[in-house]
This record gives sequence, structure tokens and C-alpha cells, in this order.
Amino acid sequence: MSVFRFFALFFSAFSLSVLISCSNQAPTPNAAAPASPMAQTNSSADHSSMQGGKPKININNAILSELDKLEAKLGVPALSNRIQASRPYAKVDELVSKNVITQAQFDQIKDMVTIEDIQLTGEAKDVDYMTKLGLMKGHLLVAKELLDLQKPDQAEPHIGHPVEEIYADVEDQLNERNIKEFKTSLIALQDTVKAGAKDANKVGTEFKTSVQAVDGAITALPETQRTSPEFVLQVINGLLDTANSEYGASIADGKIAQPIEYQDSRGFVLYAKELYTAISPQLSKDKAEANKTIQTTMADLVKVWSSVLPPAAPVKTPVEVSQMIKTIEQTAQKTTKSS
Amino acid sequence: MSSQKRLEKSILSRRQLLQWGLLAGAGAAGSSIVANRLLGARGQSSVMIPPVPASPSDRSGMNPMSMLRDFDYGTVTQENGRTVREFRVEAQTSTIQLDNAHSFITWNLNGRVPGPTFRATEGDRIRVVFYNRAGHSHSLHFHGEHPADMDGIKPVKNGSVMIYEFDAKPFGVHLYHCHVAPVTRHIGKGLYGMFIIDPPQPRPPADEMVLIMAGYDVNDDQKNELYAFNGLPHYYMKNPIAIQQDQLIRLYVLNVIEFDPVATFHLHANMFRVNQTGRSLEPGYETDVITMGTAERHILEFSYHNPGKFMFHPHQDTIAEAGCMGFFDVIGSKT
Repeated sequence: MSVFRFFALFFSAFSLSVLISCSNQAPTPNAAAPASPMAQTNSSADHSSMQGGKPKININNAILSELDKLEAKLGVPALSNRIQASRPYAKVDELVSKNVITQAQFDQIKDMVTIEDIQLTGEAKDVDYMTKLGLMKGHLLVAKELLDLQKPDQAEPHIGHPVEEIYADVEDQLNERNIKEFKTSLIALQDTVKAGAKDANKVGTEFKTSVQAVDGAITALPETQRTSPEFVLQVINGLLDTANSEYGASIADGKIAQPIEYQDSRGFVLYAKELYTAISPQLSKDKAEANKTIQTTMADLVKVWSSVLPPAAPVKTPVEVSQMIKTIEQTAQKTTKSS
Repeated sequence: MSSQKRLEKSILSRRQLLQWGLLAGAGAAGSSIVANRLLGARGQSSVMIPPVPASPSDRSGMNPMSMLRDFDYGTVTQENGRTVREFRVEAQTSTIQLDNAHSFITWNLNGRVPGPTFRATEGDRIRVVFYNRAGHSHSLHFHGEHPADMDGIKPVKNGSVMIYEFDAKPFGVHLYHCHVAPVTRHIGKGLYGMFIIDPPQPRPPADEMVLIMAGYDVNDDQKNELYAFNGLPHYYMKNPIAIQQDQLIRLYVLNVIEFDPVATFHLHANMFRVNQTGRSLEPGYETDVITMGTAERHILEFSYHNPGKFMFHPHQDTIAEAGCMGFFDVIGSKT
């Protein structure tokens, strides 16, 4: 025992001295170079979410257009959707154990994928940012409708959701993009509405401040991007996906049992429609057929939320709504991919 | 104090008896004992659990009887010489039938309210793969110790995955729940569960079960209209929990009732020994009513020496009568 301990100590001391001498020696070949940038380069190259300077793709959370890079690399049709459908992954090699791809295919892409939380970059990052702000817009849209109907109690959750559910999730990106924080405005508005929204002028002013803050955050994205159909369609997909889950969560026994979730989904669909209307002219030029499909389906979809107050009976079942949303998503995905 | 000593002694001697019984039983496979003889989770000794009667599920498939003794130890692997327990949960929405008049849209994990009872041993590595498919943003916040980035207060948006990973400590009874505001609604709709961390030295064998008290605000008026143990109101009144006479029972009890600041747990015709938050190796004082604030949880130990049906419920009787009430059915041992 004591002999073992002696050797253990000896070896740890030995390896420690090796470490120290290594780190001492490291700067000598290039003593003139400043130490800190070198250390930075090393650490970012070693970072497990990077590969040759390229960020890895998080297979658990990446949007389809990111997963398309894997699909393209392997040449497997519809691979992005299959990766998405087999979520979640606790390890990257579950792509093989869940029969999404073969071991040989995995070997080709294993350096491109991760399950670690990564800093999104490029377009994926912007889609993520815009989608989260889009969800905020949707919440505020229905909040406004309910405030106009003198229903502050019903409006309150929708003013709360942007700050409770979304703000913390987008805060880092807001800071990075130098957007002035607007959590305080959202909370102030929530306080006023919670207290009964008695002063209509005050509510109006505070509401305007909040909406302008979200709009301002959206315009931090370059206009070319905000008007590009390929980009906006990905945001629309994110919004509709959430609307789909929320609509399903509002209905029990063929009745709209939870007005909050009905209204959430209404807001997301209305904002998706608004975004779509802006890109539709461009899309009709580039992809006339896809545009027609999305336009017709979107028009039908919006009708499901006939008013901000839930109708006595749902206009469509959750299954029917899912189907419509799927049609839009698939058409949009094809459009994005082929461009 | 002396009575407590005597009790401990009696447990010990009974443990010995059980062990001898196990040794004797090893030779005689066709034992005449009717009750199920289950090996303890760690396989050290035997515990008597009467056959579990067929108990109905609600229409969503939820079954409090099967959840009662259902401990999820996760998928165990060894990584770098450590035990890793991996749990997979999916946030979903589904409608459950609370009573004749109320169907209720839950937000839940893996289709059940409460969520799975995660169980590990102190020092294990815990990895929880959380997939949110429930529309709203949700999260899992665990009680116990962990680093700040694993605290589960950051919302995980619909369609995303978050992997929570930390060391299981300290031993005791903990809970987890969604921490997205308003937490009252996220817990009230079902996003909570128990998280048991066993001490490195296992506790003495017992018939172990989980009872979680929760409330339902069915009309979003910030008040509970219904209450339940393990998800469904009045379930254990209609389907009593069969236990064996003289068997040591170990209850892991948690109160996650929102809106009402406090609820007690009361057991009929008996005393129980309290192990607060499960932070001790041995239970402490005896009582038959324990007061629990929201999120408070304890281990309660007792045995029934008389056969028959005995109630358990909070002694806030409106809460009990609105669904948080049940029976133990003590099955007499054959002599």
C-alpha cells in the first residue's frame, strides 16, 4: 500500500515536472512573439466544437439547412430530416446506433458533428436569432389584440412569455450584436398589465416601446438577409413548428381548453404570415410553384385562428393543422435547398 | 428516546430474521410464501411486497400504481472509471382524465405526471438528455448540488435538446422541475419529478415507494381545484396500496403543490419516523403529521402491525378531499 502510494506520488510529481518544463519551454522557440495571442490560437484550435477552424454542427439542435451540409457530404437524400427525426442524441455515434447512417458514413462526418453546446455562426446563428425574436413578435401581436379588446388578464401571459421564455435564450446574441437591453421595458409593461392596465395611455406607450425594441433587434440583421426568401422561409419554419405544438396543446376533447396556447399559436402563425407576405413577390419570380403552394396553404392555415378569442369549436383538428404546416415546411425546405 | 432505540433494535433484529429467511429460502425454492419476494434494488436482502392488484390506467395510459415503485436508474455505463447514469426524457403535452368532470392538458415528461423518478448513488455522474417537444420553452432544474450552467434556469426552446450533466450529490431526496416562469403553471401542469440520491452505504432493505402531492389549477385562476398523489386525484382511494404486515415501508414523499404554501402528510393509526430531506442515514423523530412547504420532501419509515385499510392524506382536509387522499391496505402475514 505504502509502496504503491510512494510510486503514485513519485509519478505524479514526475509528470508535474514534465508539464512545468514543457510549458516553460514552449515560448522559447518564438520568444519574441507575444504570449497571449498564441495561447488564444491554441485554445480555439483545441476547442472540441471546432474542426479546422470550422464550427461543428450540433445534431441535436441544428436547423435543417445546417444538417443539409451533412446530407450533401454523404449524398444521402433526406438525411437532414432523418437526423432530426431521430433526436435526441446523447453521443454523436448514436447516429450509427440509431440507424440513421452507417459506421462508414459516420467515419466521414464524425469531425463535423457534436452534441456539445456550440456557438452558432453564420446563417444558422441569424436564423436562430430571428426566430426567437419572431416568437416574441407573435406573443406581442396577440397581446395587442387582447388589450384592444379590454382583456388585460388574457393579454398578460403573452406579454410575460417573451421575457419569461425567450429573452434569456437570446440575451447573449443581443449583447453580441450591441442591442440595448429591453428586458426592463418588457417587465415594466408586464407590471402595468398585471395591475389591470388601467391607464390606457401608459399601456399604449409602454407597449410601443417594447415592440420597437424587438423590431430594432430584428433590424440588426442586414436587410439583404431579412428580405431573402431562403432566409425568411427558415424563420417561418421555426415559427410554424412551435405554433403546431402549441395548437395541439390547446385542445382537449375536441374543445379549445387552453386559450393561452391557442393564442400563442395564433400569434406565431400571424407573424409567419406577415413575414411570408413580404417575401412572396420575390419568391413568385424565383420559384413560382413553391410560392403558390405556400401561399394557398398559408391562407388556409390562418383561417384556423378565426379570432383572438377561441371559437366555440376548433376550426381544424391538430392533425389537420400539422398537415398544413408540414406542407409549408417541406415546400420551404425544398426551396431553400435548391437555391 | 428509549422507544426510538427500541424501534431501531427491532428493525435490526427483523433485518437479521429476513436475512436468515433468505438463507434458508435459498435451499427451498418452492417456498410457501404467497407474496412476491423481491430482491432489494442492490440485491442485499429480501422485502415482502404483496401481489400488486391490476389497477386501471387513465385514458392517456397513466397509472399511479405502476409509478409508485418505479425507480428509473438510467442507462448505466462506465466512463473513465466512473458510473454514468443516463436518463432520457421528452417534454410532451397530453390530456389526462382527472375525474369525471375534468380532462386536463398536461405538460409532462415521457407522458407521465409526475415525471420519472430518477435514482442514483452519491458520486455517480448524472446525464439527463432533455428533449423539448412541448411547444413552450421548458427546462429541468434539479435540486442538489451542481455547477451554475447546469442549474436549469435557461429556457430550452421547443424542438431543442439540452443535456444536463453533473455529479449526484449530496445523498437525499431531491426533486426536479421546470424553471420557466410562471413556474406555478409549469409545475402545475406536470413538469416535476423526484430525484433520489442514495447514500454510498445503502439504506436497510424496505418496501420503497414514491408519493408526490400536487395540485391542479384546472381553470387558470391561480388556485387549485383538484389535488393528487402521483398524478391522478383519489386514485389510491379507489385502488389502495397493498403492503405487507410488519414490513418496513420507506416512503419518499414530496410536496409540489403550488399556490397553497403548505401541506402536511398524515398517516392513520400509526407513527412514522422522519428522515428530513433524506439527508441522514437513520430516521430521526417520530410523529404522525409532518408539515411540508412547497418543494419540501422527506423519507418516512414505518411498519403496520395490524392488517386492514389505513388512510394517508394531508391534514388540510379540503386538499385531501379534493383528491389528495389514499389507502394502504395492510395484508396480514400468514402464520
